[in-house]
Amino acid sequence: MGTTIAPEKILNELSDLWRDSAKQELSEGGTGVLRACSMTLLVLAEAGEDTQDLGETIAALMPEHPARAILVRLSGAGERSMAERVYSQCWMPFGQRRQICCEQVEITASDAALDDLQSVILPLTVADLPLIVWCRSQRLIAMPAFRAIVQMADKVVIHSAASPDPAALLERAHNAAGRGVMLGDLSWTILTRWREMLSQVFENRQNAAQVAKVTKIDVEWGGSRYVPALYLGAWIRDSLAAVGVNAQLQISRTADDDHLGVELTGQGITVKLAREKDRMVVTLNGSSQCTNLREPTDYMLMREELGIVRHDPVFERTLASASQLAHPIQQ
Amino acid sequence: MPIENPFQDPLRFERRVPECAVVIFGANGDLTKRKLLPALYRLAYDRRLSAGFAVVGISRTPMSDEAFREKMLEAVKQFSEDTDFDESVWAGFAAGLHYVAGDIGDAALYQNLATKLEQIESERHTGGNVLFYLSTQPSQYARAAQGLGAAGVSKGKGWRRLVVEKPFGHDLASARELSDRLHESFDESEVYRIDHYLGKETVQNILAFRFGNGIFEPLWNRRYVNHVQITGAESIGVEGRGAYYQEAGALDDMIQNHLLQVMATIAMEPSATFRANSVRDERSKLLRSIRPMTPDEVRVNTVPGQYGPASIGGKDVPGFRQESGVDPKSQTNTYAAVTLSVDNWRWAGVPFYIRTGKRLAKRVTEISIQFNEAPLHIFDHDGAANTPNLLIVRIQPEEGISLKFLSKRPGSGMMLRPVSMDFNYGSSFGERSPSAYETLLLDAIVGDATLYTRQDMVEASWSVVEPIQNYWRENPTEFPNYPAGTWGPAAADAMLARRGHVWRKP
Repeated sequence: MGTTIAPEKILNELSDLWRDSAKQELSEGGTGVLRACSMTLLVLAEAGEDTQDLGETIAALMPEHPARAILVRLSGAGERSMAERVYSQCWMPFGQRRQICCEQVEITASDAALDDLQSVILPLTVADLPLIVWCRSQRLIAMPAFRAIVQMADKVVIHSAASPDPAALLERAHNAAGRGVMLGDLSWTILTRWREMLSQVFENRQNAAQVAKVTKIDVEWGGSRYVPALYLGAWIRDSLAAVGVNAQLQISRTADDDHLGVELTGQGITVKLAREKDRMVVTLNGSSQCTNLREPTDYMLMREELGIVRHDPVFERTLASASQLAHPIQQ
Repeated sequence: MPIENPFQDPLRFERRVPECAVVIFGANGDLTKRKLLPALYRLAYDRRLSAGFAVVGISRTPMSDEAFREKMLEAVKQFSEDTDFDESVWAGFAAGLHYVAGDIGDAALYQNLATKLEQIESERHTGGNVLFYLSTQPSQYARAAQGLGAAGVSKGKGWRRLVVEKPFGHDLASARELSDRLHESFDESEVYRIDHYLGKETVQNILAFRFGNGIFEPLWNRRYVNHVQITGAESIGVEGRGAYYQEAGALDDMIQNHLLQVMATIAMEPSATFRANSVRDERSKLLRSIRPMTPDEVRVNTVPGQYGPASIGGKDVPGFRQESGVDPKSQTNTYAAVTLSVDNWRWAGVPFYIRTGKRLAKRVTEISIQFNEAPLHIFDHDGAANTPNLLIVRIQPEEGISLKFLSKRPGSGMMLRPVSMDFNYGSSFGERSPSAYETLLLDAIVGDATLYTRQDMVEASWSVVEPIQNYWRENPTEFPNYPAGTWGPAAADAMLARRGHVWRKP
């Protein structure tokens, strides 16, 4: 592995890549390749992660969010070293004649080289388009180099539930949001369908009229669902408080390893949401309805997050509340 | 007591869709099976419909709810081209499908419908909201509306909306009469005249392109635009619809509604807001600015056509008069080309050429805006230097926008060549675009009439088309005048040549 890499060299390699792709396409009777780009996506992952799996996730994101993707693989301890490779991700949309390509750059860096990362990434970002950082490495979040990366980014996406100390990470995330950092947390994104289902119950005006009667919110979680449980409880409590309804929130752990469920109760109203395998069961006053709710993949979660490159007031408000809830509650 | 939903999150959740019942008149027809039910199922698949959603199908054939569900299941499986069939989604969706048999002219039908709606309301909590969709013969529209009115079903505790498919009359007088009869039971604000072209993603994107960007609008006027061509070409013939088509023709079937609406979208003034009436006011204003033609103007500015038999790719295809159900002496236009002038400050003197037809060289719908040439040709040793800049908005089949401009050829010397910068809607964003009917049905349920046609727009369109209809009727053309598989009659080329222009070959 080399000790350094030159961004200029990577940019030249990217240019060559386009030239080669276009030549190949034209020689095969095509109409040339179409470059598509709406952002720079910087993915920070441990070298031990399944590269193929991650590569497929990034590739799947490209048709909807075409990007220059930079994958940084953290090789851990050892001497200061960095290496790169450049390749393109191309696809032929069904029924169309023109190939669409996006650029991908893979950089492998040891911990000792992380301080150089900012100077390598900055020239590689696509001008005038947002830089979105997806940090999959919990180790990196705790390192000083991460702060420099955050400063470059327009948005940073984390997954707090995967952290060994989620309460501390929530607090850090809340502080960062307070400094104006645009954040996304996949542990929150996981809840979009849950929240939407709950919201749909109250789209009905008869049900909406019962909102004021809700006095209690019970959230149960198991396994790794601690952070989603915090978010869910905080969001429901805050949403009710915003319309003058003060309900008591109870968050408790269950023995079921994969459990997440919520129940809103009050005089004459009980709304319960629970996952049962690949189904979400919504029970309103004893009457249940099922809907599909597959366990979201990283692709599905990132697809949503990449579509929101702006501050998300509902998330930021809930993050603040969840961060406060995290400390008094013992896991 | 809060009655608004406190859990809304518009940034992440899909648009709020109120609970309602959709009543489809003509539930046994092609449009219901091919478009409406697949679109509604797709909306259910995407979880866009509320839990309190129901469909009531109406037609003459006696059928149980269960038989109707079976029939619709077949339709959804057959016509949902890009949607997986999901048993559990279907089960939830099908539970809300109901059927009422009856004749549109029979008062009992509406009483039965009222009873059914009450039952659905109590079971599914539809909030009393009802969207009536008239997917019947146009001659039945007024009777259905009056039947609903007489039975008191057109009003209720929730909202009521009436969706009407084209044609909205067959001339100005009949369009006005239809509106008057619909208004006996529904306010104009409750009438949603559907034009599925306006639901297409690219047509909506014209608004984003024009009014979301600062760089195009300054060029969007007579000073820079030389002329505009709007093409709605089909490569197929009448495909078994000969009997219907010979009553309509290309002018009425395409130009009066779809293509004039597209023209209004491309040429309208910016609206002050993106509210429905604001956008529709501007569209309507533009349509009213199109100069109605005198008979002499119709003679030189319009060309009717009808395709004759030809061999396409070694396959013999019949002429229109040889199609089944068509009068062998039919004078129906299967092609229409018109040159329209817009009498306003922005477009005075800029010709808008519109053409549409069946059995043309290929299937394509596009708008081509040709800009004026550079004022001085300093690269005049190269013929390419005379190639005009074109902005092409493709509506189908590959939705997108292309800009054609000149660029230096690589190498020594100053040789220019035209190049194209393409934005392809489908491939630049890989996400599936909703079908026009998904977009428009959802809009109607939500109460967003932006993409629907208002009465004044319909009347303005007929005011443009009626003088052409009259002239063509009084001065028949010798048909057929273009072979199937070509770009139309030679007279249409001559019409443009008189102004020094040529049709694009898309």
